[in-house]
Amino acid sequence: MTVSPEAILVMAFGGAAASYGLGLVSAKARDVFAVVLTAVLLCLVALLYGRPAERVYCSDFLGLTLVLRTDALAWFFAISVSLVGWLSTVFSLSYVRAKGQVNFYYFALLLVNAAMLGIVFSGDLLSFYIFWETMSWAAYLLISYNRGRALSAGLKYIVMSIVGSCAMLVGLVSLYAGYNTLVISELAARIASGSTGPLLPVVTAFGVGFGIKSAIVPLHTWLPDAHSEAPSPFSAVLSGTLIKMGVYGFVLVMYAVVGVKLLLGLGAGWLRFHSVLCWVGAITMLVPTFIAVLQDDAKRLLAWSSIGQMGYIVLGIGIATSLGLGGALFHMFNHAVFKGLLFLAVGAVEYRTGGVRDLNELGGLIKRMPVTFACALVGGLGLIGVPLSSGFVSKWLIYKTLIAEGHPFLALAALVGTWGAVLYVYKLLHNIFLGQLPEKYRGVESAPVSMQFPLVVGALVTLLCGVLPGIPLRAVGAVVGSLGLEPARVTLAGFGPEVGPLNLVNICAAGIVAALLIVALLRGAATSRRVPQQDSYAAGAYVPVERYHYTVRFYDPLERAAGVYLRDRVDEFYSWLAGRATRVFDVLRRIYSGDVRDYVAYIVCLLAVLIVVQMVWWIW
Amino acid sequence: MQPVEFVLSPLVAFFVGVFFLGFSRKLTARIQRRYGPPLYQPVIDVVKLFAQRSISHGVLFEVGVVVSLVGSVITVMFIPLGRICPLCSSGGLLVVMYLMLFGPLGLALGAGESANPNASIGVSRKMLLALAYEVPFLLVILSVMCHYGTISLAEIVAQQQAGRWGLLSLPLALSALAAFLILPAMLGIRPFDLVSAPQEIASGPLVEYGGRYLAVIAIQGAFHSFIVIALFVDFFLGGGTNVGTFLLKVLVVFAAGVLINAVLPRVKIEEAIKFCWKWPVALAVVSLALSVVLR
Repeated sequence: MTVSPEAILVMAFGGAAASYGLGLVSAKARDVFAVVLTAVLLCLVALLYGRPAERVYCSDFLGLTLVLRTDALAWFFAISVSLVGWLSTVFSLSYVRAKGQVNFYYFALLLVNAAMLGIVFSGDLLSFYIFWETMSWAAYLLISYNRGRALSAGLKYIVMSIVGSCAMLVGLVSLYAGYNTLVISELAARIASGSTGPLLPVVTAFGVGFGIKSAIVPLHTWLPDAHSEAPSPFSAVLSGTLIKMGVYGFVLVMYAVVGVKLLLGLGAGWLRFHSVLCWVGAITMLVPTFIAVLQDDAKRLLAWSSIGQMGYIVLGIGIATSLGLGGALFHMFNHAVFKGLLFLAVGAVEYRTGGVRDLNELGGLIKRMPVTFACALVGGLGLIGVPLSSGFVSKWLIYKTLIAEGHPFLALAALVGTWGAVLYVYKLLHNIFLGQLPEKYRGVESAPVSMQFPLVVGALVTLLCGVLPGIPLRAVGAVVGSLGLEPARVTLAGFGPEVGPLNLVNICAAGIVAALLIVALLRGAATSRRVPQQDSYAAGAYVPVERYHYTVRFYDPLERAAGVYLRDRVDEFYSWLAGRATRVFDVLRRIYSGDVRDYVAYIVCLLAVLIVVQMVWWIW
Repeated sequence: MQPVEFVLSPLVAFFVGVFFLGFSRKLTARIQRRYGPPLYQPVIDVVKLFAQRSISHGVLFEVGVVVSLVGSVITVMFIPLGRICPLCSSGGLLVVMYLMLFGPLGLALGAGESANPNASIGVSRKMLLALAYEVPFLLVILSVMCHYGTISLAEIVAQQQAGRWGLLSLPLALSALAAFLILPAMLGIRPFDLVSAPQEIASGPLVEYGGRYLAVIAIQGAFHSFIVIALFVDFFLGGGTNVGTFLLKVLVVFAAGVLINAVLPRVKIEEAIKFCWKWPVALAVVSLALSVVLR
């Protein structure tokens, strides 16, 4: 049997609808169906590897051909989408059981994932746009699922999303006007074969649309609210894959449609589109990272961190070299896995503690939820980019490119951003899992198996990609190669001397040997005995049991010194603008007074003006 | 890459690091007109600690310490000590920078499980201090990498031995000065010993540690001091053509650092951040800009 993208899409969309219908009959059947469906989709997508294909599925839709296709780029994003989709569906099993409207939840979750698969398998920009809108609206349903504050978060999201879609539509129409086709492969051929129209405005229009979805500064303001208010399994999808659709769009338009050669010449003088994108990326990874450090809400912290990590990806795309693009794509995949994992871990804590995600109320949960902690730790290390986690390799590629291409200040921004990541990852882990376990959480149970399973899978993928990066980098290399750049030579354990020496298997082996020796040394020494947490040094004073944990304003000196600069001024500006616009429209609204005599007066006045114009200038 | 180097490199770091501990105490004592403990006092301390029974607060409490030391041991293997560099072909300077994270991160995670707020305060200070000195340190590393056009530490050393020391070439001289200014902060010695300030926060992250775990932490500290100074020597003083000259240079830099340590009082974390982000950053930025322009 040959797998084709249309079969996958039919299954994904049909499955979403079927899960709703099935849920009306039996909740259990729906749960099983959703998990099996996403698992099957993951397998089918995996089977598509290395089989590029293109097929017209509707030859005349308003005079346009609609095409589905798969290639290396589409496959790479599709596998990320289906992997995170599967993990989040499994996690949802226990998470949403106690909430209302579960059928609706599954329907929307599966629909978002189906629409994302549709986006990456689209072979023409019209299908791309249709699936894009489906994704945006389905995501809106889920962001506002929790009601309350989630409603305004959803509204903010959808308003910005619509602005982005309009910008995209402008780009789409101008491409069609210029080249008379929307099929990606034909478009690429026509653009490459000379006739260079005004590409810069088109790419900028697309850039605004994709920039809003991938939340790059200053188009990021929907993200912190939406990510923190959405149900946790969906936050994982939002942060893991939905914002990556913006990245897919960037890569598609910049590399597949416009092509590297034209891309590098896009712009005027020294101001090039791709270099502007690099600096936007640098700001995106620097400022939001330090805003994340000061957050007190676990999910808000992760949301700001997502914006920061998008900066690395955008920077890698903007640098427009083989290593940079490879690093960006690999980081996209890694971030999907470990950020999804972190959101799920926070979701598990939220589930077990009755909805608490305030970092100043938790503590000591490592004693109660050890597996969740271990997985969150792996995710956090990936986020920092510690060696032997997947984040290290992708960040290494980006740094290496920046230094080799002679952009040390961009490299500085990336490296300082990493230190910011150390700060917030430690704060997150410390405030939730370390320190003293408060009395009221003494009875917390470990997360249910259906929650632990996706966490463990995510952690294993993060470690596997960190120790044997050659496996995912082969797929990345195929993408880079298909986009007209020379892919870097990779080995299973890293890179050979021509790229720059990196051998993670050696590092891993050396680490294991050293650890064994040290453990042997410790075994030979005098023993230690386990003591309860109250048995700690307090200079002879009594150790309180209710709550005794240093969390509030954990980085106080930084907060006092830089807190003023680390406010989201862009969001404040947009809110101000929205307030102003509301007032203006409120005045305009008064024209429609509802009184017929006013309307008659308007008509008479208009006619009078027209008559005067005609008598003076004789226009008509 | 010979198998014997894998053993030799950590051993050199261990002995030199432990010697540093004793040497710094002796030197500080002499400056303060005390007699001071014998040079081998740290060895006695560590052996005693291994023989002492201790307490533990959980698995992470123990594992964190091990991870911390493992990170430091591996980092040493990436740094050329004279001709000894067992893992130079497995990664360059970028790997070293990230491996240096394991030390503080492992200890921070372990200390976090001890459920003692003193430890958390110490870790919070450590993180901020690290942020403070990392900004100039990253600038220094970037200017070194830009100046020599490579991310391989072995290559940087080789270029210096073929030409001039980093310290003597114009843009890098400023970097060297910046790196020297933040050296006490990186080593965690006075005036920047606020992380493990015994009188204020009961030794911070170390508050609950004792016995064999404290011994491991002491060894990790020795490794860490050696790594920081070895990097300085490899960046600016041309490394060493053999282990002997290399260690001599390391000793000179360390002694200079201890002289500052002996006479200055401890600063607050805010002051530390302000200090690190003022002159060292200014010098390092100028140096980086110059190395980009002059290339």
